[in-house]
Amino acid sequence: MAYSEKVIDHYENPRNVGSLDKNDPQVATGMVGAPACGDVMKLQLKITDEGIIEDAKFKTYGCGSAIASSSLVTEWVKGKSIEEAAEIKNTAIAEELALPPVKIHCSILAEDAIKAALEDYQSKQDS
Amino acid sequence: MNYFQLFGLEEKFNLDTERLAQVYQKLQRSVHPDRFAHASSQEQMLAVQKSSMINDAYQSLKNPLKRAEYMLTIRGTEMPNEQASFKDNMFLMRQMELREMLAEVKFADDIDAAIFEATQVLEIEFEGLFKSMQTQLAENTEEANQLASENLRKLKFYQKLHLELDRLEDLLFET
Repeated sequence: MAYSEKVIDHYENPRNVGSLDKNDPQVATGMVGAPACGDVMKLQLKITDEGIIEDAKFKTYGCGSAIASSSLVTEWVKGKSIEEAAEIKNTAIAEELALPPVKIHCSILAEDAIKAALEDYQSKQDS
Repeated sequence: MNYFQLFGLEEKFNLDTERLAQVYQKLQRSVHPDRFAHASSQEQMLAVQKSSMINDAYQSLKNPLKRAEYMLTIRGTEMPNEQASFKDNMFLMRQMELREMLAEVKFADDIDAAIFEATQVLEIEFEGLFKSMQTQLAENTEEANQLASENLRKLKFYQKLHLELDRLEDLLFET
């Protein structure tokens, strides 16, 4: 299957790969996995007291589309508010990367990773 | 008629795979095109359809994870969409660690030993989940089936890790 140029670019030069300190109260961690393909994705966001995402890192074990989806998401969320980040839809990710139908679930995984990270942030705030 | 009935087997997870293979051969012979050389085109078509159904059934029952999935399906256990994301944090953290372990194999001083160790780790964890699923499938209550379905999803991650390890081995021992 042919990958789009954008997927290849993110795959070969992934942005923001790495980890943030998960014990930092400002760092939210979202972990998601896809049983169908065994992909595992970790997305971490560093969120300021004003609710702005100032940094994002990811680590994904999976196919090129899964890596590209998470790499793209880290670029998109930086500088956004929590509310804006929560509105990122998988369809926008899939469209940007020109993902074929069989790879749509990779973009869903990336959207779910944002949600999971924001949920983690919320629970950290509450505690 | 479900696949177990088609093969005349009891609806159990622990099935006799040798017998399964024998029945498969016998069933396939009964619908072999040679037998229908002089039959009407409609009969020939039915035989072809039957043959493909026997094949599907065999594939679903032969592989343990597929068999578990099939059993849960006919029991009406609600199973999450294959594409749906999985969010068991502890489990996913472990998956990340295991992926990292595989990624580090190639830097090991003794690659053979590292691969052997990785294989062992994966096998032990797979077996643990597999045995729980086996017990839950035998229990066959709504709750146990639900737990079995959860374990099946986890086992799929291990199946993927196994493939990764095989790929790694091929790559490292290519030359």
